[in-house]
Amino acid sequence: MARFQLKSSRVLQAHLAGDTARAITGAMVAYEGDISFKSTGIGGSGGLGAAVKRRMTGESLQLMDMKGSGVVYLAKGAMEIQLVQLAGDKLSVESSSLLALDTDLRTDVAFAGLRGASSGQGLFTTTVSGNGTVALLSDGPMIALEVSPQYPLVVDPDAFIAHRGQVTQTFITDISWRNVIGEDSGEAFSLRFDGSGVVYIQPAER
Amino acid sequence: MTEPAPLNPYTLPTDDNVNPYAFCVDLSQQWFMRKGAMIAYYGQAKFEALAATSMAGFVATRFSSPLYAMDWVVAQGQGKVVIGDRGHDINSFDLEAGNLTIRANNLLSFATSLELKQSIVPGFLTLYGTGKFIASSNGPVIFAEPPMRVDPEALVGWADTPAPCHHFDAGWMQSFLGMAANSMLGINSGEERQMDFVGEGTILMQSSEIMSEDPAVVRMIESQLGGLGTGGLQRINHVTAQRLAASQQ
Amino acid sequence: MPGFEMVNSKVVKVRLGSPVIARRGAMLGYTGDVRFVPHGVPGGAGAGGLGGLAGGLARRMAGEHEATMEATGQGEVWYGFRGSHVTIVDIAPGQVMLVEADRLLCHDVTLQASTAFIGQGGMRAAVSGMMSGQGLFTTQLSGQGSAVLLSHGETFSLPIDQSRNVAVDPQAYVAALGQVKVEVSAKVGWREAVGKGSGEAIQLRCTGSGTVFVQASEEKL
Repeated sequence: MARFQLKSSRVLQAHLAGDTARAITGAMVAYEGDISFKSTGIGGSGGLGAAVKRRMTGESLQLMDMKGSGVVYLAKGAMEIQLVQLAGDKLSVESSSLLALDTDLRTDVAFAGLRGASSGQGLFTTTVSGNGTVALLSDGPMIALEVSPQYPLVVDPDAFIAHRGQVTQTFITDISWRNVIGEDSGEAFSLRFDGSGVVYIQPAER
Repeated sequence: MTEPAPLNPYTLPTDDNVNPYAFCVDLSQQWFMRKGAMIAYYGQAKFEALAATSMAGFVATRFSSPLYAMDWVVAQGQGKVVIGDRGHDINSFDLEAGNLTIRANNLLSFATSLELKQSIVPGFLTLYGTGKFIASSNGPVIFAEPPMRVDPEALVGWADTPAPCHHFDAGWMQSFLGMAANSMLGINSGEERQMDFVGEGTILMQSSEIMSEDPAVVRMIESQLGGLGTGGLQRINHVTAQRLAASQQ
Repeated sequence: MPGFEMVNSKVVKVRLGSPVIARRGAMLGYTGDVRFVPHGVPGGAGAGGLGGLAGGLARRMAGEHEATMEATGQGEVWYGFRGSHVTIVDIAPGQVMLVEADRLLCHDVTLQASTAFIGQGGMRAAVSGMMSGQGLFTTQLSGQGSAVLLSHGETFSLPIDQSRNVAVDPQAYVAALGQVKVEVSAKVGWREAVGKGSGEAIQLRCTGSGTVFVQASEEKL
């Protein structure tokens, strides 16, 4: 399996030794060695076909397979990179926050529920499951916040990166909330998390 | 880099940085916050627009800036709120019976024990009193001392020092005086015009901001158009068109 | 000789004795008695000896050079540009640095600047470069002194030598130091790597010996 390693907080190295790693298209800034790049679909099975899923998530998630021997340097928009290990569990992630992942991991599209009409985000979110490493993008170093029955969590959707564990996500749309987000920008709703798990956020709004 | 350890309301810092780009305030006191500052919170938090808050009377004594009032809310309740600003560096400062003037875009939140007024310099706000305020900057804030000249775009604020004057580079001034009377005041960079600080005190700087729109500056200019006659309005129109053309680069 | 000092990841400071050439708009503040005078166009009339059409292209493309100012006098000057990251690089005598015009913040006056054409492969490569909007003309610095690079996100360096086969996304390329040849070429499958939206099917191949500086982003400044 290809090895992911941080060269710096904003640059990811994928070491390939005749094998494959997967990343979002456009993420490669340089490479050394003999590497080929090929577009790939979202994958996943059950229910919707891959082509339908691609249409539904829109252009937000375009993946490519990188194969060969050498090192690929990946970066995106000077954002910080955070490596997350999955051990048989599932990560629900904003597709725009995904940078790269082991090819052994399964990606799928899940229905995320109805969002505010003014939202530019799709109705679907990306899930990654299995055993392996995922590289996430964060505008500013990522922060992990616990969710537990004693302390549910409310998050600005433009700062939300991913969640894992047994958490349920609901939308809050009360009027006083509108005032919190600038009049000209941002979502007209916020995300509330209940249950037990972890939510990853970035210290910035998209 | 290993994953960050998950934080919760008990392990989140109280009125301190979570990391260089995020700050956590405890709602055991009330805070003025810029809209959009809130990233996440635990507990029962209420964010009310200054006009709509139940504490309108109190707010009016503390927040004396009609130009910026619509960009701010009061945060109160119980719990912890994590704030951030475009991934910029966040730092808190304690004022003790002091005063500090800061660019509105760089002020993120402040304790309601402080008073806020509009500075004479457009785009800047002055804080008075004792209490904590939280600032955001593009890269860590750089502190320097007068005498010094600063590119207006790089200026974050100043404390305990007289307000600055404009300084125009002598070479530029000479060529400007030689130009035709109705040519545009084409000041484009900090080499030609700076903010001039003298005396004692502290100056705060950052790598210059991309001059994105400051809605408050736009509001201020709009409000002043009413005082102009046709000649003045046509002149503004001409200058605006030229600036727009120049910025298409 | 002045030394550039990192104040933080986005700002450098220099104590003037010997003048500094900087991109216009880079000066953040200064103390002392300092004057800023417009400096010549790097490369000016010459463009590496290219004549005719190529020379005309060079002159037009030189419009992509950034206006520069010379700072002289006594005092300290802070330089930075719109929150971009800064990297100080020392150039030794005999070394040459090629840097994208908009990714050079400032440099010692002891370094000579001229315009160089990095596209090999003739006019077709130049034309494709023009269509993609990627600049093919860069600033060449030689002599002895320090230069400060600008980037979106910090830069990292990759060594170039005979044993390596290094390719760089043109949007992420910042500079090259040493005896490095940077060539524009096309590669199948590259579109995926650099993102279809960027519209570029070209990559930069780096050979020779030296160092290439790459930024942690595919975005232009």
